Amino acid sequence: MSESGFWALQLLNALQYSMLLFLLSIGLTVIFGLLHFVNLAHGALYMMGAYIGVSVAAATGSYWAAFLLAPLAVTAIGAVLYFTLIERLRQAGPMNQVLVTFGLIFIFLDLVRIGWGDIALGLDVPQAMAGTARVLAVDYPVYRLFIIALGLLIMAALLFVLSRTQIGAMIRASVENAAMASAMGINVQRLFVCVFCVGCALAGLAGVVAAPVFSASTGMGISILIPTLIVVVIGGLGSLQGAIAGSLIVGFLETMGAVLFPQFAAILVYVLLAAILVIRPKGLIPARG
Amino acid sequence: MVMFQQTRTHTAVCLAILAALLLYAVMGGYFAREIVVEIAILAILAISLDIVAGYGGMVSLFHGAIMGAAAYGYGVLTVKFEMHPLPAAFLGVALAAIFGTLVGAIVANTAGIFYIMATLAFGQMAYTMVFQSRWLGGDDGLAGLPRFDFEAIGIDMNDPLAFALFAIVLVILVYLAAAGLLRSAFGRTLCGIHSNEARMRALGVSTWIPKMRALGTSSLLAGIAGILAAQHTQYISPELLHWTVSGEVLIVVILGGLGTLTGALVGAVAFVALKHGVGGYTDHWHIVVGIMLIAVVLAGGRGLFGQCHHLLRQRANRSANATGDGSKSHA
Amino acid sequence: MLEIRNLRKSFGGIEVTKNVSLSLAPGERRVVLGPNGAGKTTLFNLLAGELKPTSGEILLDGRPITHLSVSQRARAGLSRSYQKNNLFEDLTIRQNLQLAAAAGKGRTTSLLRDPLRDRELAAIVEEVAEQVSLSDMLDIDVRHASYGNRRQLEVGLALATRPRILLMDEPTSGVGPGMIKGFHHLLANLPRDLTIVIIEHDLDLAFDVSDRITVMNYGEVIFEGTPEETRGNHLVRDIYLGNWQADA
Repeated sequence: MSESGFWALQLLNALQYSMLLFLLSIGLTVIFGLLHFVNLAHGALYMMGAYIGVSVAAATGSYWAAFLLAPLAVTAIGAVLYFTLIERLRQAGPMNQVLVTFGLIFIFLDLVRIGWGDIALGLDVPQAMAGTARVLAVDYPVYRLFIIALGLLIMAALLFVLSRTQIGAMIRASVENAAMASAMGINVQRLFVCVFCVGCALAGLAGVVAAPVFSASTGMGISILIPTLIVVVIGGLGSLQGAIAGSLIVGFLETMGAVLFPQFAAILVYVLLAAILVIRPKGLIPARG
Repeated sequence: MVMFQQTRTHTAVCLAILAALLLYAVMGGYFAREIVVEIAILAILAISLDIVAGYGGMVSLFHGAIMGAAAYGYGVLTVKFEMHPLPAAFLGVALAAIFGTLVGAIVANTAGIFYIMATLAFGQMAYTMVFQSRWLGGDDGLAGLPRFDFEAIGIDMNDPLAFALFAIVLVILVYLAAAGLLRSAFGRTLCGIHSNEARMRALGVSTWIPKMRALGTSSLLAGIAGILAAQHTQYISPELLHWTVSGEVLIVVILGGLGTLTGALVGAVAFVALKHGVGGYTDHWHIVVGIMLIAVVLAGGRGLFGQCHHLLRQRANRSANATGDGSKSHA
Repeated sequence: MLEIRNLRKSFGGIEVTKNVSLSLAPGERRVVLGPNGAGKTTLFNLLAGELKPTSGEILLDGRPITHLSVSQRARAGLSRSYQKNNLFEDLTIRQNLQLAAAAGKGRTTSLLRDPLRDRELAAIVEEVAEQVSLSDMLDIDVRHASYGNRRQLEVGLALATRPRILLMDEPTSGVGPGMIKGFHHLLANLPRDLTIVIIEHDLDLAFDVSDRITVMNYGEVIFEGTPEETRGNHLVRDIYLGNWQADA
């Protein structure tokens, strides 16, 4: 493979990883920005999306069934969590929210082990995307291109909704000042539930989309949670642009870092986190200046 | 309530637990002594976490990694460099303290959720570094760690009873150190920062320094737990630094009672008892841990000792109010 | 002693502090008057360091402190009480004062001595409690104290660091006339070498305790002078239209 081909490959890998991070971090950051709720169980929902996807695909023989149903199932789980626990904890302060969602991580970890066992499970890529395509002078798996395309599509859709639609305006208003938004007639409660569910759906989607690439494993929840949290801290809590910037930065840093500095790759992203925390603790593009 | 105070209740419960551990170690067999050491390690970790989380108000999710840092420092120095265990232990603890202080400096100006996320991330960083290091043994870890050699004063540390008693002594020393720390000017300042950081700054305190020092000192104590853990099994693996360990320490503190110091002891005993009790029935201990944590938080978050202490105080206050006083306005 | 030169503060396009200049002599008692929104608290925030000015300088004893942090200024002798109570809510009144006294003496770092058992600090606490009339309330939890007592503690905290210059932001806000008299009394008994700046709405208090008065409106100083001069000035009268003509 040529030099430029190698870099094209890394670029595409980085982009693909960034898209996955984006799908997860946007849910987490908007849930925090809007509900002021710290949901550490977000990674667990991602994991559930992957495992449920694996089961649906195994039962129906269709990837697309999994693609459709897994996010829905995860949204249902999210809704149950919302009405049983999360609504009660919204006033509880960050520490209690962290503790409870942390407890949820433990619970989901073992639930998955009970339901699906300890061994990593694979999910087959749909037939239509099984091959490779010629992109940037390299042969790149079509499925991974699909991930990139999906991520960009959702990014564009969210940007559009948040900046051009009425519901987007309501969300932005509520992020800035929920009390005021409520006083102006916006049904903030309903907005919260909607946003939370969309966030869960995105997490589930990310899980089922990632499963063919990374396999469904019990460690995947926490191993994606940390980079997602870093994306959110770097980008700034509550901001879509921050999530975009953050996921691109972290995605590229991790992918390129592994190639350029294999010895230090693991800690590069943490060095960045440390730098941001010291220099700009509110993140690069915080939702509330 | 935020300021540390060793009440008679505190002392009574502490002494009761220590006495029970002592008896259990002396009377029980090999297995009992293993449990006592397990409780001791967890108690020391919980005490150290309570300092920053309970009294300092800074919930930190990487104490497992701090303990692991000390354990690996000790392990590397004794196994790879054949250093004598005693100085190696000091250096291991120092390594943990330095790690904690560095992280403390980085996160000193963050609060709440950012603080928690950052400590979680740095803990995971340490775990990844150790896991990926061939030199440190990677996934297989390091074996053959020595225990202290007290032959000169007639104690054989390879005897499980001696080691268990040594562990109990360490718990006592760490508790006393923590109590002393919390009663010092530094400790009172830390509590003040927890109560109202902005006002402390307005009174002339550069708050990031005590916050950093708090994490550093907490890490030093956690490092002691690391040495104990390393010497106990005489084997260390990256699992010590895993986030679930840090999570379990936090759960122990919450279970016993955040911000009570004695709660750390209570929580450690309760947690290990539950673990071995439940563990006999099921492989899926994590679900129980998760449910426990959620239950304690939803029930008011005071923990076993915390709730008892709260009820006792309420009763005391009620009788004080009954005899008059309350607050009179001078207006 | 304290000098403010051409202080400006803007938030985005809005200038909230417009070219404010002020000079305080040691031991002076200055009251800052002005309607709500005049920028008085913003001025205090700039003085205390909680806000950084857009331009201008602040000098304490001739030394510029414009770029010092809040805690650095406090250590230099500047102390502040807040319009909205800013106390250590989960502690007792005594512990509140002890923390402040310890901070004032720099006894915040030792790993050995307990400031709660320090006799010198205890003496300061007794003294300050006496000054703010809280001597009987010391062991009450702040949480259970009355609003008036909390207001007294608010001032007490600022005093307990033994500052050289004290900024008080509407110290009598929300309290009854009895307490206002108590506050008169308090001010009268403070050391004369303590420089004090008070933001006030109560005109009787203002004219009674001050050596000089600064009147602000819309972010700028519109008048400065003795109480007598202030009373007679037409600009000031326009702002407080009818306010003291009715009382006088």
